[in-house]
Amino acid sequence: MLIGEAAEARTPSPQSFRDPAGTLFEDGKRILRQVNPEDAAGLEAFLATKTAARAIGRGALVGSLRLSDHLYEHERIPFPSYPCEWPPEMLHAAGELTIELARSALEEGYGIKDATPYNVLFRGSRPVFVDVLSFESRDPRDPTWLAYGQFTRTFLLPLLANRETRIPLASIFAAQRDGLEPEAVYRLLGPLRRLLPPYLNLVSIPKWLSGRETPSTYRPKLAASAGQARFILDRILRGCARQLRSLAPARRASKWSGYIAPERTAAVSYTPSQFAQKEQLVRDALAIARPREVFDAGANQGHFSFLAAGTGASVVAIDSDEACAGAIWREASKRSLNVLPLVVDLTRPTPAMGWRNRECAPFLARARHGFDLVMMLAVLHHILVTERIPLEELFALAEELTRDYLLIEFVGSDDPCFKRIVRGRDRLYSHLTRECFEAAASARFDLVSSTRIDGMERWIYLYRRRRAIS
Amino acid sequence: MTARKSSTRAKTTLLFAFLPLLLFTPAKAYGYADPGTGAFLYQAFYAAFLGGTFYLRKLLDRVWKRRR
Repeated sequence: MLIGEAAEARTPSPQSFRDPAGTLFEDGKRILRQVNPEDAAGLEAFLATKTAARAIGRGALVGSLRLSDHLYEHERIPFPSYPCEWPPEMLHAAGELTIELARSALEEGYGIKDATPYNVLFRGSRPVFVDVLSFESRDPRDPTWLAYGQFTRTFLLPLLANRETRIPLASIFAAQRDGLEPEAVYRLLGPLRRLLPPYLNLVSIPKWLSGRETPSTYRPKLAASAGQARFILDRILRGCARQLRSLAPARRASKWSGYIAPERTAAVSYTPSQFAQKEQLVRDALAIARPREVFDAGANQGHFSFLAAGTGASVVAIDSDEACAGAIWREASKRSLNVLPLVVDLTRPTPAMGWRNRECAPFLARARHGFDLVMMLAVLHHILVTERIPLEELFALAEELTRDYLLIEFVGSDDPCFKRIVRGRDRLYSHLTRECFEAAASARFDLVSSTRIDGMERWIYLYRRRRAIS
Repeated sequence: MTARKSSTRAKTTLLFAFLPLLLFTPAKAYGYADPGTGAFLYQAFYAAFLGGTFYLRKLLDRVWKRRR
Protein backbone atom coordinates (compact mmCIF):
# COMPACT_ATOMS: atom_id res chain seq x y z
CA MET A 1 0.00 0.00 0.00
CA LEU A 2 2.89 2.29 0.86
CA ILE A 3 4.38 1.59 -2.55
CA GLY A 4 1.05 2.42 -4.17
CA GLU A 5 0.89 5.74 -2.38
CA ALA A 6 4.46 6.52 -3.39
CA ALA A 7 3.60 5.91 -7.05
CA GLU A 8 0.54 8.10 -6.86
CA ALA A 9 2.69 10.97 -5.59
CA ARG A 10 5.32 10.49 -8.31
CA THR A 11 5.41 12.27 -11.67
CA PRO A 12 4.36 9.98 -14.52
CA SER A 13 6.94 8.89 -17.06
CA PRO A 14 6.94 11.55 -19.82
CA GLN A 15 6.00 9.03 -22.54
CA SER A 16 3.07 7.60 -20.62
CA PHE A 17 -0.04 9.68 -21.17
CA ARG A 18 -1.89 8.33 -24.21
CA ASP A 19 -3.46 5.23 -22.73
CA PRO A 20 -6.33 6.22 -20.46
CA ALA A 21 -6.15 2.84 -18.69
CA GLY A 22 -2.97 3.52 -16.72
CA THR A 23 0.29 5.36 -16.24
CA LEU A 24 3.96 4.36 -16.06
CA PHE A 25 6.32 5.66 -13.40
CA GLU A 26 10.06 5.36 -13.12
CA ASP A 27 11.30 4.93 -9.59
CA GLY A 28 15.08 4.86 -9.87
CA LYS A 29 15.71 1.67 -11.81
CA ARG A 30 12.21 0.33 -11.19
CA ILE A 31 9.40 0.52 -13.73
CA LEU A 32 6.00 0.83 -12.06
CA ARG A 33 2.57 0.94 -13.66
CA GLN A 34 -0.47 2.41 -11.99
CA VAL A 35 -3.64 0.91 -13.48
CA ASN A 36 -7.04 2.59 -13.24
CA PRO A 37 -9.35 0.75 -10.84
CA GLU A 38 -11.84 -0.11 -13.61
CA ASP A 39 -9.07 -1.66 -15.77
CA ALA A 40 -7.13 -3.47 -13.02
CA ALA A 41 -9.33 -6.58 -12.96
CA GLY A 42 -9.08 -6.87 -16.74
CA LEU A 43 -5.28 -6.71 -16.63
CA GLU A 44 -5.14 -9.28 -13.86
CA ALA A 45 -7.38 -11.59 -15.87
CA PHE A 46 -5.23 -11.15 -18.99
CA LEU A 47 -2.03 -11.88 -17.07
CA ALA A 48 -3.66 -15.13 -15.96
CA THR A 49 -4.30 -16.29 -19.56
CA LYS A 50 -2.23 -18.94 -21.32
CA THR A 51 -1.23 -16.34 -23.93
CA ALA A 52 0.35 -14.11 -21.27
CA ALA A 53 1.94 -16.98 -19.36
CA ARG A 54 3.49 -18.49 -22.49
CA ALA A 55 4.71 -15.11 -23.79
CA ILE A 56 6.20 -14.09 -20.42
CA GLY A 57 7.80 -17.54 -20.13
CA ARG A 58 9.69 -17.15 -23.39
CA GLY A 59 10.51 -13.48 -22.79
CA ALA A 60 8.19 -12.12 -25.50
CA LEU A 61 5.98 -10.22 -23.03
CA VAL A 62 7.39 -8.04 -20.27
CA GLY A 63 7.32 -9.64 -16.82
CA SER A 64 4.80 -8.01 -14.46
CA LEU A 65 4.62 -8.31 -10.70
CA ARG A 66 1.48 -7.15 -8.89
CA LEU A 67 2.52 -5.00 -5.93
CA SER A 68 -0.91 -3.86 -4.80
CA ASP A 69 -4.47 -3.68 -6.17
CA HIS A 70 -3.68 -1.22 -8.92
CA LEU A 71 0.11 -1.16 -9.00
CA TYR A 72 2.44 -3.39 -11.00
CA GLU A 73 6.19 -3.55 -11.33
CA HIS A 74 7.61 -4.48 -14.73
CA GLU A 75 10.90 -6.05 -15.57
CA ARG A 76 13.29 -3.36 -16.84
CA ILE A 77 14.49 -3.80 -20.43
CA PRO A 78 18.19 -2.85 -20.34
CA PHE A 79 18.44 -0.34 -23.21
CA PRO A 80 15.23 1.23 -24.52
CA SER A 81 15.24 1.93 -28.25
CA TYR A 82 12.75 3.46 -30.66
CA PRO A 83 11.55 2.50 -34.17
CA CYS A 84 13.52 5.40 -35.69
CA GLU A 85 16.67 3.58 -34.51
CA TRP A 86 15.76 0.14 -35.85
CA PRO A 87 16.77 -1.45 -39.12
CA PRO A 88 13.75 -2.78 -41.07
CA GLU A 89 14.47 -6.30 -39.82
CA MET A 90 13.70 -5.19 -36.26
CA LEU A 91 10.50 -3.38 -37.24
CA HIS A 92 9.45 -6.54 -39.02
CA ALA A 93 10.22 -8.68 -35.95
CA ALA A 94 8.23 -6.26 -33.75
CA GLY A 95 5.28 -6.50 -36.17
CA GLU A 96 5.42 -10.30 -36.19
CA LEU A 97 5.35 -10.38 -32.40
CA THR A 98 2.40 -7.96 -32.29
CA ILE A 99 0.32 -10.07 -34.68
CA GLU A 100 1.32 -13.34 -33.02
CA LEU A 101 0.21 -12.05 -29.60
CA ALA A 102 -2.97 -10.56 -31.06
CA ARG A 103 -3.92 -13.91 -32.65
CA SER A 104 -3.13 -15.87 -29.54
CA ALA A 105 -5.04 -13.41 -27.32
CA LEU A 106 -8.05 -13.56 -29.67
CA GLU A 107 -8.44 -17.26 -28.93
CA GLU A 108 -8.88 -16.38 -25.27
CA GLY A 109 -11.30 -13.50 -25.80
CA TYR A 110 -8.81 -10.61 -25.75
CA GLY A 111 -7.96 -7.97 -28.30
CA ILE A 112 -5.06 -5.59 -28.84
CA LYS A 113 -6.33 -2.03 -28.71
CA ASP A 114 -3.25 -0.40 -30.25
CA ALA A 115 -0.72 -1.84 -32.67
CA THR A 116 2.31 0.40 -32.70
CA PRO A 117 6.02 -0.44 -32.64
CA TYR A 118 6.30 1.74 -29.52
CA ASN A 119 4.70 -1.20 -27.67
CA VAL A 120 7.84 -3.21 -28.36
CA LEU A 121 11.39 -2.94 -27.02
CA PHE A 122 14.33 -5.22 -27.72
CA ARG A 123 16.23 -7.29 -25.20
CA GLY A 124 19.38 -7.86 -27.24
CA SER A 125 18.01 -8.90 -30.61
CA ARG A 126 14.75 -10.32 -29.20
CA PRO A 127 11.56 -8.24 -29.31
CA VAL A 128 9.62 -7.85 -26.07
CA PHE A 129 6.05 -6.56 -25.98
CA VAL A 130 6.04 -4.14 -23.08
CA ASP A 131 2.59 -2.58 -23.04
CA VAL A 132 0.48 -5.07 -21.08
CA LEU A 133 -2.43 -2.60 -21.04
CA SER A 134 -2.76 -3.00 -24.81
CA PHE A 135 -4.65 -6.20 -24.15
CA GLU A 136 -8.29 -5.83 -23.27
CA SER A 137 -11.23 -8.09 -22.97
CA ARG A 138 -13.17 -7.73 -26.21
CA ASP A 139 -16.87 -7.78 -26.92
CA PRO A 140 -17.30 -11.32 -28.30
CA ARG A 141 -19.47 -10.03 -31.17
CA ASP A 142 -17.20 -7.13 -32.16
CA PRO A 143 -15.66 -7.95 -35.57
CA THR A 144 -13.59 -4.76 -35.91
CA TRP A 145 -9.91 -4.42 -35.10
CA LEU A 146 -9.68 -0.69 -34.44
CA ALA A 147 -5.89 -0.84 -34.46
CA TYR A 148 -5.79 -2.20 -38.04
CA GLY A 149 -5.16 1.28 -39.48
CA GLN A 150 -2.39 1.91 -36.97
CA PHE A 151 -0.77 -1.44 -37.74
CA THR A 152 -0.79 -0.53 -41.43
CA ARG A 153 0.62 2.96 -40.81
CA THR A 154 3.35 1.96 -38.38
CA PHE A 155 4.45 -1.46 -39.62
CA LEU A 156 3.31 -2.34 -43.14
CA LEU A 157 3.61 1.01 -44.93
CA PRO A 158 7.03 1.98 -43.45
CA LEU A 159 8.36 -1.48 -44.43
CA LEU A 160 6.86 -1.10 -47.89
CA ALA A 161 8.28 2.42 -48.37
CA ASN A 162 11.65 1.30 -47.03
CA ARG A 163 11.75 -1.64 -49.45
CA GLU A 164 10.63 0.30 -52.49
CA THR A 165 12.38 3.63 -52.02
CA ARG A 166 15.15 2.77 -49.50
CA ILE A 167 13.87 5.64 -47.37
CA PRO A 168 15.41 4.93 -43.94
CA LEU A 169 13.02 4.15 -41.08
CA ALA A 170 14.78 6.94 -39.15
CA SER A 171 13.44 9.46 -41.66
CA ILE A 172 9.92 8.07 -41.34
CA PHE A 173 9.66 7.72 -37.57
CA ALA A 174 11.71 10.76 -36.61
CA ALA A 175 9.26 12.89 -38.58
CA GLN A 176 6.02 11.01 -37.87
CA ARG A 177 5.30 9.18 -34.64
CA ASP A 178 2.34 7.38 -36.17
CA GLY A 179 4.10 6.17 -39.31
CA LEU A 180 2.94 6.69 -42.89
CA GLU A 181 -0.55 7.44 -44.19
CA PRO A 182 -1.61 5.52 -47.33
CA GLU A 183 -1.88 8.87 -49.14
CA ALA A 184 1.83 9.58 -48.55
CA VAL A 185 2.87 6.22 -50.03
CA TYR A 186 0.36 6.53 -52.91
CA ARG A 187 2.24 9.58 -54.16
CA LEU A 188 5.46 7.53 -54.38
CA LEU A 189 3.89 4.89 -56.63
CA GLY A 190 3.51 4.89 -60.41
CA PRO A 191 0.04 4.40 -62.02
CA LEU A 192 0.54 0.69 -62.76
CA ARG A 193 1.96 -0.20 -59.37
CA ARG A 194 -1.02 1.36 -57.65
CA LEU A 195 -3.15 -1.43 -59.14
CA LEU A 196 -0.90 -4.31 -58.11
CA PRO A 197 -0.83 -6.17 -54.81
CA PRO A 198 0.22 -5.39 -52.12
CA TYR A 199 -0.03 -1.71 -53.10
CA LEU A 200 -3.66 -2.04 -54.16
CA ASN A 201 -5.09 -3.11 -50.79
CA LEU A 202 -2.49 -1.48 -48.52
CA VAL A 203 -2.25 1.87 -50.26
CA SER A 204 -4.57 2.54 -53.21
CA ILE A 205 -7.96 1.29 -51.94
CA PRO A 206 -7.54 3.01 -48.50
CA LYS A 207 -6.45 6.16 -50.36
CA TRP A 208 -9.48 6.08 -52.67
CA LEU A 209 -11.79 5.42 -49.72
CA SER A 210 -10.40 8.17 -47.52
CA GLY A 211 -12.68 11.14 -47.17
CA ARG A 212 -15.74 9.00 -47.98
CA GLU A 213 -16.67 8.41 -44.35
CA THR A 214 -20.10 9.38 -43.08
CA PRO A 215 -21.17 10.11 -39.48
CA SER A 216 -22.24 6.47 -39.13
CA THR A 217 -18.93 5.03 -40.37
CA TYR A 218 -17.31 4.90 -36.96
CA ARG A 219 -20.43 3.76 -35.12
CA PRO A 220 -19.26 0.39 -33.79
CA LYS A 221 -21.04 -2.62 -35.26
CA LEU A 222 -21.62 -6.09 -33.88
CA ALA A 223 -21.60 -9.31 -35.84
CA ALA A 224 -24.55 -11.72 -35.69
CA SER A 225 -22.63 -14.17 -33.53
CA ALA A 226 -19.44 -14.43 -31.48
CA GLY A 227 -18.21 -17.17 -33.83
CA GLN A 228 -18.63 -14.94 -36.85
CA ALA A 229 -16.82 -12.01 -35.16
CA ARG A 230 -13.91 -14.25 -34.17
CA PHE A 231 -13.72 -15.71 -37.66
CA ILE A 232 -13.55 -12.21 -39.18
CA LEU A 233 -10.91 -10.95 -36.74
CA ASP A 234 -8.80 -14.04 -37.14
CA ARG A 235 -8.87 -13.65 -40.94
CA ILE A 236 -7.94 -9.95 -40.65
CA LEU A 237 -5.00 -10.78 -38.36
CA ARG A 238 -3.94 -13.62 -40.66
CA GLY A 239 -4.06 -11.19 -43.57
CA CYS A 240 -1.79 -8.78 -41.66
CA ALA A 241 0.63 -11.63 -40.92
CA ARG A 242 0.64 -12.56 -44.61
CA GLN A 243 1.28 -8.97 -45.68
CA LEU A 244 4.05 -8.72 -43.12
CA ARG A 245 5.68 -11.91 -44.43
CA SER A 246 5.60 -10.51 -47.96
CA LEU A 247 7.40 -7.40 -46.70
CA ALA A 248 10.18 -9.28 -44.88
CA PRO A 249 13.33 -7.23 -45.55
CA ALA A 250 15.79 -8.89 -47.89
CA ARG A 251 19.47 -9.01 -47.01
CA ARG A 252 21.00 -6.07 -48.84
CA ALA A 253 24.41 -4.65 -49.45
CA SER A 254 25.56 -1.10 -48.94
CA LYS A 255 28.88 0.65 -49.34
CA TRP A 256 29.65 -0.21 -45.69
CA SER A 257 28.48 -3.82 -45.53
CA GLY A 258 31.49 -6.11 -45.57
CA TYR A 259 33.81 -3.18 -44.83
CA ILE A 260 35.73 -5.09 -42.17
CA ALA A 261 34.72 -8.66 -42.96
CA PRO A 262 37.85 -10.82 -42.73
CA GLU A 263 37.33 -12.23 -46.24
CA ARG A 264 37.27 -8.69 -47.65
CA THR A 265 40.10 -7.19 -45.64
CA ALA A 266 42.46 -7.04 -48.61
CA ALA A 267 39.92 -4.92 -50.46
CA VAL A 268 39.70 -2.52 -47.54
CA SER A 269 42.90 -2.16 -45.57
CA TYR A 270 43.75 -5.21 -43.45
CA THR A 271 45.47 -8.35 -44.57
CA PRO A 272 44.04 -11.48 -42.93
CA SER A 273 46.98 -11.65 -40.51
CA GLN A 274 46.59 -7.99 -39.57
CA PHE A 275 42.92 -8.56 -38.98
CA ALA A 276 43.70 -11.60 -36.82
CA GLN A 277 46.09 -9.45 -34.78
CA LYS A 278 43.43 -6.79 -34.29
CA GLU A 279 40.94 -9.46 -33.27
CA GLN A 280 43.40 -10.79 -30.69
CA LEU A 281 43.93 -7.26 -29.31
CA VAL A 282 40.16 -6.90 -28.86
CA ARG A 283 40.03 -10.28 -27.13
CA ASP A 284 42.85 -9.20 -24.79
CA ALA A 285 41.03 -5.96 -23.97
CA LEU A 286 37.84 -7.90 -23.22
CA ALA A 287 39.82 -10.20 -20.93
CA ILE A 288 41.20 -7.20 -19.02
CA ALA A 289 37.99 -5.15 -18.85
CA ARG A 290 35.64 -8.14 -18.29
CA PRO A 291 32.69 -5.90 -19.21
CA ARG A 292 29.06 -6.66 -18.49
CA GLU A 293 27.85 -3.94 -20.85
CA VAL A 294 29.63 -2.98 -24.04
CA PHE A 295 29.01 -0.17 -26.52
CA ASP A 296 30.33 -0.69 -30.04
CA ALA A 297 30.35 2.55 -32.04
CA GLY A 298 30.54 2.11 -35.80
CA ALA A 299 29.97 -1.62 -35.42
CA ASN A 300 29.76 -2.28 -39.18
CA GLN A 301 28.55 -5.91 -39.39
CA GLY A 302 29.15 -6.58 -35.73
CA HIS A 303 32.29 -8.72 -35.84
CA PHE A 304 33.68 -7.23 -32.61
CA SER A 305 30.24 -6.89 -31.01
CA PHE A 306 29.86 -10.65 -31.41
CA LEU A 307 33.28 -11.21 -29.84
CA ALA A 308 32.18 -9.14 -26.83
CA ALA A 309 28.80 -10.86 -26.62
CA GLY A 310 30.64 -14.20 -26.70
CA THR A 311 32.25 -13.31 -23.37
CA GLY A 312 28.80 -12.90 -21.80
CA ALA A 313 28.49 -9.12 -22.17
CA SER A 314 25.35 -7.42 -23.38
CA VAL A 315 26.23 -5.22 -26.34
CA VAL A 316 24.66 -2.14 -27.88
CA ALA A 317 26.08 -1.90 -31.40
CA ILE A 318 25.43 1.24 -33.42
CA ASP A 319 26.07 2.01 -37.05
CA SER A 320 24.69 4.77 -39.21
CA ASP A 321 24.12 2.27 -42.03
CA GLU A 322 20.74 0.48 -41.99
CA ALA A 323 22.06 -2.49 -43.99
CA CYS A 324 24.88 -3.04 -41.46
CA ALA A 325 22.56 -2.86 -38.44
CA GLY A 326 20.18 -5.22 -40.24
CA ALA A 327 22.99 -7.69 -40.88
CA ILE A 328 23.99 -7.55 -37.19
CA TRP A 329 20.39 -8.23 -36.16
CA ARG A 330 20.13 -11.26 -38.45
CA GLU A 331 23.35 -12.76 -37.16
CA ALA A 332 22.65 -11.98 -33.50
CA SER A 333 19.17 -13.52 -33.80
CA LYS A 334 20.52 -16.60 -35.55
CA ARG A 335 23.24 -17.13 -32.97
CA SER A 336 21.11 -15.95 -30.00
CA LEU A 337 23.71 -13.36 -29.07
CA ASN A 338 22.91 -10.54 -26.69
CA VAL A 339 23.53 -7.75 -29.19
CA LEU A 340 21.17 -4.84 -29.75
CA PRO A 341 21.95 -3.27 -33.14
CA LEU A 342 20.74 0.28 -33.70
CA VAL A 343 20.85 2.62 -36.68
CA VAL A 344 22.46 5.58 -34.94
CA ASP A 345 25.07 8.00 -36.19
CA LEU A 346 27.32 8.84 -33.24
CA THR A 347 27.94 12.31 -34.66
CA ARG A 348 24.20 13.00 -34.99
CA PRO A 349 22.60 10.82 -32.32
CA THR A 350 18.83 10.52 -31.96
CA PRO A 351 17.49 13.75 -30.48
CA ALA A 352 14.74 14.13 -27.89
CA MET A 353 11.41 13.68 -29.68
CA GLY A 354 7.69 13.83 -29.22
CA TRP A 355 5.44 15.89 -27.03
CA ARG A 356 7.44 18.61 -25.23
CA ASN A 357 10.58 16.78 -26.45
CA ARG A 358 10.03 14.31 -23.62
CA GLU A 359 8.37 11.26 -25.15
CA CYS A 360 11.54 9.73 -26.58
CA ALA A 361 14.69 10.32 -24.60
CA PRO A 362 17.73 11.37 -26.66
CA PHE A 363 20.18 8.59 -27.43
CA LEU A 364 23.02 10.03 -25.35
CA ALA A 365 20.79 10.40 -22.28
CA ARG A 366 19.97 6.67 -22.53
CA ALA A 367 23.59 5.70 -23.18
CA ARG A 368 25.22 7.98 -20.60
CA HIS A 369 27.57 5.97 -18.36
CA GLY A 370 25.74 2.86 -19.48
CA PHE A 371 28.76 0.76 -20.42
CA ASP A 372 31.84 -0.78 -18.81
CA LEU A 373 33.61 -0.79 -22.14
CA VAL A 374 33.20 1.52 -25.12
CA MET A 375 34.73 0.32 -28.40
CA MET A 376 35.52 2.76 -31.21
CA LEU A 377 37.26 0.61 -33.80
CA ALA A 378 38.10 1.91 -37.27
CA VAL A 379 35.69 4.77 -36.76
CA LEU A 380 37.93 7.59 -35.50
CA HIS A 381 38.91 8.94 -38.94
CA HIS A 382 35.26 9.11 -40.02
CA ILE A 383 34.40 11.18 -36.95
CA LEU A 384 37.45 13.45 -37.23
CA VAL A 385 37.54 13.93 -40.99
CA THR A 386 34.06 13.37 -42.40
CA GLU A 387 32.27 15.07 -39.52
CA ARG A 388 35.13 17.38 -38.44
CA ILE A 389 34.66 16.67 -34.74
CA PRO A 390 37.66 17.83 -32.65
CA LEU A 391 39.66 15.10 -30.86
CA GLU A 392 39.01 16.64 -27.43
CA GLU A 393 35.27 16.46 -28.10
CA LEU A 394 35.54 12.82 -29.08
CA PHE A 395 37.21 11.90 -25.79
CA ALA A 396 34.66 14.00 -23.88
CA LEU A 397 31.91 11.93 -25.50
CA ALA A 398 33.76 8.67 -24.75
CA GLU A 399 34.03 9.72 -21.11
CA GLU A 400 30.31 10.42 -21.09
CA LEU A 401 29.53 6.93 -22.37
CA THR A 402 31.89 4.67 -20.45
CA ARG A 403 31.90 3.85 -16.79
CA ASP A 404 35.35 2.33 -17.07
CA TYR A 405 37.23 1.33 -20.25
CA LEU A 406 37.67 2.77 -23.74
CA LEU A 407 39.09 0.67 -26.57
CA ILE A 408 39.92 2.93 -29.50
CA GLU A 409 41.73 2.46 -32.78
CA PHE A 410 43.94 5.32 -33.88
CA VAL A 411 44.11 5.65 -37.66
CA GLY A 412 47.10 7.71 -38.79
CA SER A 413 46.93 10.26 -41.58
CA ASP A 414 49.13 8.02 -43.78
CA ASP A 415 46.59 5.17 -43.61
CA PRO A 416 45.03 4.51 -47.06
CA CYS A 417 41.49 4.70 -45.61
CA PHE A 418 42.31 8.01 -43.95
CA LYS A 419 43.71 9.37 -47.22
CA ARG A 420 40.66 8.16 -49.11
CA ILE A 421 38.28 10.27 -47.06
CA VAL A 422 40.60 13.29 -46.77
CA ARG A 423 40.26 13.77 -50.53
CA GLY A 424 43.11 16.20 -50.99
CA ARG A 425 42.55 18.18 -47.78
CA ASP A 426 45.74 16.75 -46.22
CA ARG A 427 46.92 20.09 -44.83
CA LEU A 428 43.72 20.44 -42.82
CA TYR A 429 44.44 17.19 -40.96
CA SER A 430 48.23 17.30 -40.71
CA HIS A 431 47.93 17.98 -36.96
CA LEU A 432 46.19 14.65 -36.33
CA THR A 433 49.29 12.84 -35.16
CA ARG A 434 49.55 10.05 -32.63
CA GLU A 435 51.10 12.47 -30.14
CA CYS A 436 48.18 14.83 -30.51
CA PHE A 437 45.75 11.88 -30.08
CA GLU A 438 47.54 10.68 -26.93
CA ALA A 439 47.62 14.17 -25.45
CA ALA A 440 43.86 14.60 -25.98
CA ALA A 441 43.19 11.20 -24.43
CA SER A 442 45.43 11.84 -21.42
CA ALA A 443 43.20 14.73 -20.29
CA ARG A 444 40.48 12.25 -19.36
CA PHE A 445 41.87 8.71 -19.56
CA ASP A 446 44.81 6.67 -18.27
CA LEU A 447 46.59 4.46 -20.75
CA VAL A 448 46.37 0.72 -20.08
CA SER A 449 48.01 -0.51 -23.28
CA SER A 450 48.73 0.49 -26.86
CA THR A 451 49.79 -1.79 -29.69
CA ARG A 452 50.53 -1.09 -33.32
CA ILE A 453 48.97 -3.36 -35.89
CA ASP A 454 51.92 -4.80 -37.79
CA GLY A 455 52.71 -2.94 -40.99
CA MET A 456 49.86 -0.46 -40.60
CA GLU A 457 49.38 3.13 -39.58
CA ARG A 458 46.94 1.92 -36.94
CA TRP A 459 47.24 1.48 -33.18
CA ILE A 460 44.82 -0.10 -30.73
CA TYR A 461 44.65 1.77 -27.41
CA LEU A 462 43.02 0.57 -24.24
CA TYR A 463 42.25 3.40 -21.84
CA ARG A 464 40.62 3.62 -18.46
CA ARG A 465 38.67 6.65 -17.35
CA ARG A 466 40.40 8.70 -14.72
CA ARG A 467 37.54 10.38 -12.89
CA ALA A 468 35.03 8.30 -11.01
CA ILE A 469 31.41 8.81 -12.02
CA SER A 470 29.80 11.30 -9.69
CA MET B 1 -36.17 -28.58 -62.77
CA THR B 2 -32.62 -29.32 -61.60
CA ALA B 3 -31.43 -25.98 -63.05
CA ARG B 4 -34.17 -24.12 -61.13
CA LYS B 5 -33.17 -25.95 -57.89
CA SER B 6 -29.53 -25.03 -58.28
CA SER B 7 -30.44 -21.42 -59.07
CA THR B 8 -32.56 -21.23 -55.88
CA ARG B 9 -29.67 -22.74 -53.92
CA ALA B 10 -27.28 -20.16 -55.35
CA LYS B 11 -29.65 -17.33 -54.41
CA THR B 12 -30.00 -18.70 -50.86
CA THR B 13 -26.23 -18.96 -50.60
CA LEU B 14 -25.81 -15.36 -51.73
CA LEU B 15 -28.45 -14.20 -49.26
CA PHE B 16 -26.67 -16.01 -46.44
CA ALA B 17 -23.34 -14.67 -47.61
CA PHE B 18 -24.35 -11.02 -47.34
CA LEU B 19 -26.78 -11.39 -44.45
CA PRO B 20 -24.13 -10.31 -41.91
CA LEU B 21 -24.02 -6.88 -43.52
CA LEU B 22 -27.64 -6.46 -42.51
CA LEU B 23 -27.15 -8.01 -39.08
CA PHE B 24 -24.36 -5.75 -37.80
CA THR B 25 -25.63 -3.82 -34.79
CA PRO B 26 -24.13 -0.95 -32.76
CA ALA B 27 -21.67 -1.77 -29.96
CA LYS B 28 -19.44 -0.05 -27.41
CA ALA B 29 -16.25 1.58 -28.80
CA TYR B 30 -12.89 0.22 -27.62
CA GLY B 31 -9.31 1.42 -27.93
CA TYR B 32 -7.75 4.84 -28.41
CA ALA B 33 -5.56 4.39 -31.51
CA ASP B 34 -6.68 6.45 -34.51
CA PRO B 35 -8.51 3.97 -36.77
CA GLY B 36 -7.77 6.10 -39.86
CA THR B 37 -10.34 6.72 -42.57
CA GLY B 38 -9.48 4.79 -45.74
CA ALA B 39 -7.98 1.86 -43.85
CA PHE B 40 -11.02 1.74 -41.56
CA LEU B 41 -13.48 1.66 -44.45
CA TYR B 42 -11.35 -0.93 -46.24
CA GLN B 43 -11.45 -3.08 -43.11
CA ALA B 44 -15.22 -2.62 -42.81
CA PHE B 45 -15.79 -3.84 -46.39
CA TYR B 46 -13.32 -6.67 -45.96
CA ALA B 47 -14.99 -7.65 -42.65
CA ALA B 48 -18.39 -7.71 -44.39
CA PHE B 49 -16.96 -9.93 -47.10
CA LEU B 50 -15.39 -12.20 -44.47
CA GLY B 51 -18.70 -12.28 -42.59
CA GLY B 52 -20.26 -13.58 -45.78
CA THR B 53 -17.65 -16.25 -46.26
CA PHE B 54 -18.26 -17.35 -42.65
CA TYR B 55 -21.87 -18.28 -43.50
CA LEU B 56 -20.84 -19.67 -46.83
CA ARG B 57 -18.35 -21.91 -45.13
CA LYS B 58 -20.93 -23.06 -42.59
CA LEU B 59 -23.39 -23.79 -45.38
CA LEU B 60 -20.83 -25.72 -47.38
CA ASP B 61 -19.79 -27.66 -44.26
CA ARG B 62 -23.43 -28.62 -43.70
CA VAL B 63 -23.89 -29.71 -47.31
CA TRP B 64 -20.63 -31.64 -47.16
CA LYS B 65 -21.66 -33.40 -43.93
CA ARG B 66 -25.10 -34.28 -45.35
CA ARG B 67 -23.51 -35.79 -48.45
CA ARG B 68 -21.17 -37.91 -46.33
